[in-house]
Amino acid sequence: MGAFVARRTAMLVAALLVSSFVIFGSLDLAPGDPLSALTGGRTLPPEAVAQLRAQYHLDDPFLVRYVDWLGNAVLHADLGTSIAFRGSVVSVIAARAGVTLSLVAYAGLLIIVFGVGLGVLSGLRRGALDTGIVASTSVLAAVPSFVAAIVLLSIFSVNLGWFPALGAGQGFADRIWHLTLPAIALALSAMAIVVRVTRVAVRTEMGREHVQTAVSRGIPYPLMIRRHVLRNAAIPVTTVVGITITSLIALSAVVERAFSLDGLGAALVQAALSKDFAVVQGISLVFVTAFVFANVLVDVLYAFLDPRVAMGSRAT
Amino acid sequence: MTRVNLAGAAAIALAALTVAACGKAAPGTTSQSSAAPSASSALSPTTPAPSGEAGKITWATYRDVGTIDPIQAFDYPENTVITTLCDSLARQAPDGSIGPGLATLTHPDDKTLVITLKDGPTFWDGKPVTADDVLFSLKRAADPKGGGFYPAVFTRVASMTKTSDKVVTVKLKQPDFWLDGELSQMPGVVLEKAYGESKGRKLGTPQGGLMCSGPFKVGSWKTGSTLNAVRNDDYWDAANKAKVAEIDFRGVPDDSSLTSGFLTGGIDGSYPQGLSTIDQLRAAKDKVTVSNGPSFASDAIVISSLKGALGDVRVRQALSLAIDRKAYIQNVYHGDAQLPRTLANPGTWGYGKDVFQADWNKQPEPTQNLAKAKQLMKQANAAGKTITLGMTSEVQQLATAANAIRSAGDAIGLKVKFKAVSAQNFINFFTDPKAREGVDGFPTVNYPDYADPAAFYNTIVMPDGSQNYDAFDDAQITKAMNDARSTGDPAQRAKFVAQAGDRIMQQLPWIPMAAINTVLITSSKLTGAPASFTFMGGPWANLLGATGNGS
Repeated sequence: MGAFVARRTAMLVAALLVSSFVIFGSLDLAPGDPLSALTGGRTLPPEAVAQLRAQYHLDDPFLVRYVDWLGNAVLHADLGTSIAFRGSVVSVIAARAGVTLSLVAYAGLLIIVFGVGLGVLSGLRRGALDTGIVASTSVLAAVPSFVAAIVLLSIFSVNLGWFPALGAGQGFADRIWHLTLPAIALALSAMAIVVRVTRVAVRTEMGREHVQTAVSRGIPYPLMIRRHVLRNAAIPVTTVVGITITSLIALSAVVERAFSLDGLGAALVQAALSKDFAVVQGISLVFVTAFVFANVLVDVLYAFLDPRVAMGSRAT
Repeated sequence: MTRVNLAGAAAIALAALTVAACGKAAPGTTSQSSAAPSASSALSPTTPAPSGEAGKITWATYRDVGTIDPIQAFDYPENTVITTLCDSLARQAPDGSIGPGLATLTHPDDKTLVITLKDGPTFWDGKPVTADDVLFSLKRAADPKGGGFYPAVFTRVASMTKTSDKVVTVKLKQPDFWLDGELSQMPGVVLEKAYGESKGRKLGTPQGGLMCSGPFKVGSWKTGSTLNAVRNDDYWDAANKAKVAEIDFRGVPDDSSLTSGFLTGGIDGSYPQGLSTIDQLRAAKDKVTVSNGPSFASDAIVISSLKGALGDVRVRQALSLAIDRKAYIQNVYHGDAQLPRTLANPGTWGYGKDVFQADWNKQPEPTQNLAKAKQLMKQANAAGKTITLGMTSEVQQLATAANAIRSAGDAIGLKVKFKAVSAQNFINFFTDPKAREGVDGFPTVNYPDYADPAAFYNTIVMPDGSQNYDAFDDAQITKAMNDARSTGDPAQRAKFVAQAGDRIMQQLPWIPMAAINTVLITSSKLTGAPASFTFMGGPWANLLGATGNGS
């Protein structure tokens, strides 16, 4: 276990280092100047330009800026200053991380509960229910989240008035109420995929020899399902659930924009538009970290589910 | 001082897609089928006065507010909020006219401007506004190292001194009657000196805050998120006290999100720019009120290079004559714009209205005239030549403008090539000479900071103009503009400006596309906000209140 944690931590650090360099470098190469975005193209006196350039360290060579930035990030947990928001990147992230986290968690919960639940149901019960689930999931799997957002908004918010159209709400209950439509929009297509994968996994396990043997030996149905079908089906299902939930982190930008949520994704889009490199960099790193952590979690789950997967093993 | 419309450039492809998918409004239910109206006087700058007070409301801007430091403000979100919080020395009225604000401005002679503070103005903390505060604020705005965007406003200022507790005297190197207008907006905002000095560089950020004298004060504000403003119950100008208790300024970048916000009551008001779902909101009469008013903004094509085919004024004239502006206005603005007889929008007539109106009436309506255009092309021997237009297909308005130019070119034998960039890189055409290389022009929506056509022309036609990209220099225009700047009498000044404007329409340093209207959307429970462009420079939120038939 210790070796596993150490290796994973090393991988996280390496991933962060590489991605920070890549992001920093690509932003540096991208055309456009953050100052001109800031000043809206107006001509400033040379002193004013020099002053602003110095303030935001825009004239230092690339490597100097990168090392400076990295040093501040590691030593002082300082990710730089946002040009557009005139504040520290850490404060921008802190103000917004909660919304994105709750949105992704909510959507993840929906995927696990409904995606896996309906998949198992559909896998075990052949018939009209199964056909219905298969048909509806094939449609839903193809619906991009921004389309889902628009449809949900116009039905449940504008026409029925059941849910608010924008904002993330204050306090737990209000937050849940505000985030329900965004979470469904975000989870919908992933949920449909999880249903289908779960269904196939359950079906496959049901057809396996050891399950047939268990049936013929008269092992009680619920026990047989729990021990022999679900446990084994859980392995591919975990993989898919893990991947889909981590992908939600990146997809959240679309949904946050559609519902005007003050989340990280929306800030990332806004920052990219205003060439606010420090914020793009900071939020990207948060996303990379979250991605790596989610993957670690999935790997740990594997080891619990499948004794054949040793925690220290290299194969991933 | 003019600025580029960043709201347009900030829209992303995704938003465009979203909106397209959302367009469920019955087409043509409310939009007028007739072409844009040509009468300029029909637009009212005001909305009916409110009859009561209102509680907390949410006001949408196209993105969250970045700063509330007036000298760093130039774009819609910041200006909308700062005009709510702060007072300027002079005050813009909804019709664009400029009157006394915190102070009265007088010119004892052409080279002196005397700023005399009114009796009574106090900051939010109750301290009186003094000449020291005025001097601090003006010097801060004028200082090239102050980190602000307005030092150029003060180029003709020789000295600024406090001559009494209530008076600041500004000595000018040359006569400058444009300074009064500038002092009606951001560079004229007065901040408390003691507060400003104690906050230093943090002034205007969520950490540093602000100390102004306006009808609202900052309630709560976290970096990059909704700014909450609460009514200043002790506002010094009792007649203009706010009737709304609290305003949340929320960034709503997405058109469909803004629309559903209005329809569900999550948003109570906004001054949107080129909102694609406007017809849908117009149809929802029971929930929202859509008002149209005069604007400072012009939709135009920037001519960024005079070296190519557009260097010949006849080709510019031919191209301009070939544009089908009626169709363009209907398409992009759903009728909320006028045919531009001058490059400056009639909404910019803050003074000398009769002079400008007479000039406007005299100018021909810019309708499509292909016969004349082809004739000009022939004279210029330009048929078959190619021009390159910078554009982005990710912002609908800019793409439509570029396509309108392309069809105009096609009709007269001028080939129009596109240099397409992403929405976020579009701004580089304005700021980066390298991006402009090989580009003859690009579309824009541009506006001055106060109601004066000269404030707009200044950046385009003057040899040192910030948006004069290829040394456009016309002796007659330059002279008329300089004469205007040093003329104190408003009517006479308007004559010079109108003269410059006429010549601009003939020389076409830019090709006007539309004189767009200000659009104001409010919940049907609210009224009173100006329907004009003053929200960018003058007080507006304190005029808002509840309608009689409200809840």
